[in-house]
Amino acid sequence: MAPTVELPETEQIPEWLLDWPILLVSLILLVGLVGGYLLGRLSRSILEAAGIPESVEGTAFERTAQSLGTSTVSIVSRLLSWFVYGVTLLAAIFAFQPTDTEWLWQRIVAFIPQVFIASLVVILGFVIADKAELLVSERLRGVKLPEVTVLPRIVKYSVLYVAFLVALSQIGVATDALLVLLAIYVLGVVILGAVATKDILSSGAAGMYLLLREPYGIGDEVTIGEREGVVQEVGVLVTHLEDDEAEYVVPNSKVFEYGVRRVRN
Amino acid sequence: MVEPNELLEEVVREVDGVLLFAPTASYHERFVDAEIDVVVVASENDIDAESFVELPVAFQDVYDRVRFGIEGALEQDLLADGDVVACVSAVFDEELDTVSRVRVDADSTSGVYDLFANTRAEPDVLRSVLELVIELGKKGQKGQPVGALFVVGDAGKVMNKSRPLSYNPFEKSHVHVGDPIVNVMLKEFSRLDGAFVISDAGKIVSAYRYLEPSAEGVDIPKGLGTRHMAAGAITRDTNATAIVLSESDGMVRAFKGGSLVLELDPEEY
Repeated sequence: MAPTVELPETEQIPEWLLDWPILLVSLILLVGLVGGYLLGRLSRSILEAAGIPESVEGTAFERTAQSLGTSTVSIVSRLLSWFVYGVTLLAAIFAFQPTDTEWLWQRIVAFIPQVFIASLVVILGFVIADKAELLVSERLRGVKLPEVTVLPRIVKYSVLYVAFLVALSQIGVATDALLVLLAIYVLGVVILGAVATKDILSSGAAGMYLLLREPYGIGDEVTIGEREGVVQEVGVLVTHLEDDEAEYVVPNSKVFEYGVRRVRN
Repeated sequence: MVEPNELLEEVVREVDGVLLFAPTASYHERFVDAEIDVVVVASENDIDAESFVELPVAFQDVYDRVRFGIEGALEQDLLADGDVVACVSAVFDEELDTVSRVRVDADSTSGVYDLFANTRAEPDVLRSVLELVIELGKKGQKGQPVGALFVVGDAGKVMNKSRPLSYNPFEKSHVHVGDPIVNVMLKEFSRLDGAFVISDAGKIVSAYRYLEPSAEGVDIPKGLGTRHMAAGAITRDTNATAIVLSESDGMVRAFKGGSLVLELDPEEY
């Protein structure tokens, strides 16, 4: 950690480049990024040619990786690339020859745990998002409607969005705009949900009362509003009435709106 | 020298279609590839067959099974009146081992498919009740044979055509058939006299009901007792389905529209 670390490359670098540290840094960064990317690609094709994907198929790690939408090979090759990127970044920092390296190191040391936590949050977010998507789609499997597949995906990306938001705020990126976006989204969902399910909610509340107190039961002859008939079924949301001609499905909220007239027998 | 193959060929000669009872996916695939009209009859369509008839009960009797499959296929217009079909099902083992040649006759259907598909009550409810009755018939109540009468569906009307024999143990309760504890509970209550009334959605409305339908025009086999007569009559007066466990011979019988539709021996299940 001595301030005068001499990197071997810098020795062969011509004098004029050293006068322009920005140019030097960007050159190192460029070489590092391209090198890292190429290394990643190369290692991936080597691993694939060596038959690694087939040999790790079905292992616990591969399955976990698959559930996160990646694979062992891509994790390994990406790790290699990232390692090169990291080295490049450090090299760039030293090529810049900052005056206060002590301060820089302190920042880096303080920053690493934050990055670690942030990546943990992202990974956890992926897992939870995946599970949530699975849960919702399992629930909706009985609904034979093609458009319904959108819903699990919305749930997945909502969870991911929150996870990324937490991760970003952890490493100190300004997330105010994203937070506002999230607030608008949640508010929209809540308001839309409340408006859309207003009747269902009031029927449900009335249904709870009907089920608990049973003011009328199956077989009773009742009148609810304009509907008159024999009770066939009392549910949480609706009551089924039936007369000689037709069956009526009456929302339970109507019971509280109009009251019930029960024929004594 | 005549090969057995040639002699047995007549069974499947010039059939209009094939009914496969619970085939494996690859076996079914072979029929589809050969472009033969094939209908799959099974408890669930896990091989994604195009023509499918759901079997609600694993009928042990091949006659019942075939009858159900054919009536189901007829109802769904997968077969037409007068078609001759080959029914391939498993009798002795798990594997398909039996072929029967059947002529489809739309006029003389027994209504066994109708019993499950076109009732007021949900098919799942009816199936749960049937399973419960079969189990009750197999084990009895504390080893003793019991009789029971379940009236499923159209509960409002059934309640108005019956009266309580005693206090209803299911009053203000929300118990549905298929709930885990219900089987034990119903088994205990089955020693009580009277009928169980179950709603379209499967809620147990009442036990201890004395059914008071008019028994005019009820056509049930002679020799069955009052319980069966009551069951037949209530299904004629209402849109309900009645499932009876006979105390004397231990058979399970289902009534609909005033007539006997299905007869099962619980010992076979």
